[in-house]
Amino acid sequence: MRFVVALALLALPAPVLAQEAASPQAGLAEWQKIFEVFSHPRCANCHTEDDHPRWSGAHYGPTRIHPFNVRRGPDGFGNTGLTCQTCHQETNAQILHGPPGAPNWHLAPAEMVWLEKSSAEICAQIKDPARTGGMDLEEVAIHVRDDALVAWGWDPGPGREPAPGSAEETFAALERWTALGAPCPAEGDE
Amino acid sequence: MSRLGTITRRTFLVGAVAVAGGVAFGTWYVRRPYANPLLDGLGEDEVAFNPFVKIGTDETITIIAPRAEMGQGIATTLAAFVAEELDVRLDQVTVEHGPASPAYYNAAMMEEAGPFPFFDESLMAEVTRRSFGTVAKVLGLQATGGSSSTRDGFIRMRQAGAAARIMLTEAAARRLDVPAAELTTADGEVIHEASGQRLTYGALALDAAAIEPPSDIPLRDRAEWKLLGQSQPRVDMLAKATGAPVFGVDVTAPDMLFGTVKMSPVFWQEPTAVNLSKAETVPGVIRIVPIFSTYGHGFGILATNTWAAFRAAGLIEADWGTPDYPADNAAIDARLTQALADPASGSSMRDEGDVETLFADAPRERLIEADYAVPLLAHACMEPMNATAKLADGKLTVWAPNQVPTLTAQLCASALGMETADVTVHTTQMGGGFGRREVDFSIYAALLADAAGGRPVKVTWTREEDIARDVFRPAAKGRFRARLDETGLPVALDMTIAAPSILGSVMRRTFPSISPVGPDATITQGAHDQPYSIENYRVRGIKADLGVPVGFWRSVGMSFNTYFHEGFLDEIAVAGGMDPVELRRRLVADYPAALGVVDRVAEMANWSEPPAEGRARGFAFALAFGSWIAQIVEIADTPAGIRIEKTWMATDVGIALDPSIIEAQLVSGAVFGFSSAMNQEITLREGRVEQSNFHDYDAMRMHQCPQFEIAILESAEKMGGVGELSTPTSVAALANAVFALTGKRVRQLPLSREVAFA
Amino acid sequence: MRLTVNGKAIQIDAEPEMPLLWALRDLAGILGPKFGCGIAACGACTVLVDGAPVRSCVMPVSQATGDIITIEGIGTPEALHPVQQAWIDEQVSQCGYCQAGQIMTAVALLEANPAPTDEDIDNAFGGNLCRCGTYPRIRAAVKRAAGAPAGA
Repeated sequence: MRFVVALALLALPAPVLAQEAASPQAGLAEWQKIFEVFSHPRCANCHTEDDHPRWSGAHYGPTRIHPFNVRRGPDGFGNTGLTCQTCHQETNAQILHGPPGAPNWHLAPAEMVWLEKSSAEICAQIKDPARTGGMDLEEVAIHVRDDALVAWGWDPGPGREPAPGSAEETFAALERWTALGAPCPAEGDE
Repeated sequence: MSRLGTITRRTFLVGAVAVAGGVAFGTWYVRRPYANPLLDGLGEDEVAFNPFVKIGTDETITIIAPRAEMGQGIATTLAAFVAEELDVRLDQVTVEHGPASPAYYNAAMMEEAGPFPFFDESLMAEVTRRSFGTVAKVLGLQATGGSSSTRDGFIRMRQAGAAARIMLTEAAARRLDVPAAELTTADGEVIHEASGQRLTYGALALDAAAIEPPSDIPLRDRAEWKLLGQSQPRVDMLAKATGAPVFGVDVTAPDMLFGTVKMSPVFWQEPTAVNLSKAETVPGVIRIVPIFSTYGHGFGILATNTWAAFRAAGLIEADWGTPDYPADNAAIDARLTQALADPASGSSMRDEGDVETLFADAPRERLIEADYAVPLLAHACMEPMNATAKLADGKLTVWAPNQVPTLTAQLCASALGMETADVTVHTTQMGGGFGRREVDFSIYAALLADAAGGRPVKVTWTREEDIARDVFRPAAKGRFRARLDETGLPVALDMTIAAPSILGSVMRRTFPSISPVGPDATITQGAHDQPYSIENYRVRGIKADLGVPVGFWRSVGMSFNTYFHEGFLDEIAVAGGMDPVELRRRLVADYPAALGVVDRVAEMANWSEPPAEGRARGFAFALAFGSWIAQIVEIADTPAGIRIEKTWMATDVGIALDPSIIEAQLVSGAVFGFSSAMNQEITLREGRVEQSNFHDYDAMRMHQCPQFEIAILESAEKMGGVGELSTPTSVAALANAVFALTGKRVRQLPLSREVAFA
Repeated sequence: MRLTVNGKAIQIDAEPEMPLLWALRDLAGILGPKFGCGIAACGACTVLVDGAPVRSCVMPVSQATGDIITIEGIGTPEALHPVQQAWIDEQVSQCGYCQAGQIMTAVALLEANPAPTDEDIDNAFGGNLCRCGTYPRIRAAVKRAAGAPAGA
């Protein structure tokens, strides 16, 4: 089941939304909610530029490379002999410090990098279909709403702080942000 | 069952007795003999018997290797002792640990427990060694530790094999009516070449039991050895490659229950305000019982499966109490610092020359000073602590992966108010030991068996319990100063080390009514006993109780003192402008074995040539557990952090009984040491251990493991141990390499406090 | 509940969330997979599910619907798997507790990659902890099993 991204490519393109003249402040406020989700460790720790997922949090300390030499592998699902799903099952381990789980546990493609990226950089990335696996904004929003692995970010298992809000709220924020012209903050703005 | 007569006055004698289906050979201890553990009812002092080999009429040959197999290969080497003299192949024998018995006391371990360095061959040192060995015999302490097993078995077990061979040969001589001198032995047979007749050992077993034991048992010269001195296939390898159930956790008995323990995370405290209601409702939980023991207090859970017991353990609610000891690492450091402030309160373990005068007059520029410190460490054996116990009909049976079977029987009996004679201990193989496997888990299993209504119960600890309720490597701190001469050599070296007494801590949890007196040599082990010639040389140890239980951790006091000692010598070399290897060459010049390993490892690593760009090397030397070792570690600066690329070790063990096992132990000890030095640290918060599992107490992994190059020398006069040999120098050489690479002298472990590892 | 372990159907009575490891060990008496940490951090419990390595200590038994292979299922003392033979030839094991997991990882690796490089081996074994430090011999045994000269 490694077709999450590929399936999204098959979806019909959403209708292009009218570029309404809207207050950039309102759009940026929506983006800020989205950014707080995307940059949250539950999401960003697996949207990394390099080969390594990250660990962080109350029981794991400051952000650090996932130990045990866990790596991206050829397709984001880990390496032969040590795939993500060797440890990460379809559901969260209920024991404290046990591996979190969701279907299709894997690293986001390296071009979808969020970890330690600025709000402006993530915003630019999300609007660039070359770096969203071909998804337009509507498809990104649906992906955020419906994907089981994304949903994990709000239900991360014992001992982990969930991403802010919910999948539905983030979907709604993406829809509103898109409708407001999907403005991106300038570099340095937060 | 035959009965042996009184033996005349000799220390011991090897003989044989008939047992069901065959014969058992072994040694009697005459002056203070013990009951033959294999022969019920053979209890009179004068006829006790200690078997090492049993031969069945069905040709089964069983060798008793009465030391814990925890990975160090001891079963193979002890079996080879017997097999070498018995003339059987290792693949012809079955090796068993055998029962817990004081007859299998470990004299060699206790012999080195005194305050004398291994190289001290003075009369006083020898007398002390002998008396400590006698203590082991009197206590009947059957223990595995101190890298002592091969040294302890070297004579005894070969003699057992030789005596058996002599008696089997004599039995054959009588049967064939030929002189014994015409007979030879090989592969489990007695052979009469002239007539071509052959008799198997099994066919001779019953006759051999009736043969008069030999009074003189010559042992073969080394040149005649067929097994010893060469790498043997390990006797446990097939089982371990095929997943055979050989470990404590694999013990299975009919009608068995499963369990675990949840002990107070605050040491020594009794839980109050207990609420078991959530825990008791977990499906599969049968009973939760309080545990009170000399090791601590808490709860045991009986269940129909281990997972149910684990879940229940996590749901027990209680007020676990308030620590009555330094409750965090700052408090531990303060306690150790306070102890160091009063060096006169310590025990002087080495005091040569006139250190005080030398330092009183030392010019500032010739003086160097430093403090070093190490944290508490957990053992983290791969197999978590566990034991299985059954109490039925007034008899307790314990199956335990343990290093101290006789003590286990004694303390389990005491916990249940029973006689030791009513306790049987079976020692399983163990998934790592490293000094951890003492008595607590067996006591808890016995207490749970007491609540199990006669059913056996297998009690497995969670990893979290295993780490939090360890008996830790002591935290320790040392204060060091040296005065250098014009050439950079130290003319005076003064070392003061403060650490909790391991012996004191062990006594508190095993025999709390006994208060040990006198110095604890483990506090300065690796500092006071090194073969360096320095004119003014003082090493003092200060007992600084920290309240937290501390215990034996692979290489014991050397696990920190070699890091201190060799780290400080590296500082002396830098301060004196001298090459670290050259400094050691000068200081060990009186000891050829030491000089031999230093020179050898320098040659192997091409020390005189600088390492490649971005790389650096560190050096350390030690005399450890009777063996001499010098080690070089090469590290590289990589984008992901420091990587240990390669290590070279040269060791002189006197006699290399099994090179493959020695090599494996050297690699093993080094990986163990590197793991601790890089990242490991147990910290306390409100008296509770903060680490809980491998996510925050990890060890070296495959991708971090360096290349190894090892040389095993045999020039030393005495045979040394190998199980703990390379751990101390690995820590020290790595720390010294980090200095060479980064310029950071990391004086407090783990090294990850100041540098990052890949 | 029904499991397929080493080609045989096994009937067990387990709660769905019980980790596969405990269902195997305590309910089915299959003792090769070992308990080391309970959080998929050491690899001692590794089994194959439909050919892929899985830490059985964190897989709910209800999700273990595929073909489960444990160390007992790859070879026996009389008929060793080539990886087991390589482990014996290289004298890998010390305490041996982690080795069932190491061997299962080796089997999974070699099944997919018959000629692993040192890097491939590093990338496969990072999750399998060995406190005895048998890593150099594990590496040699994997290469031996792959048919490459030892130490290459």
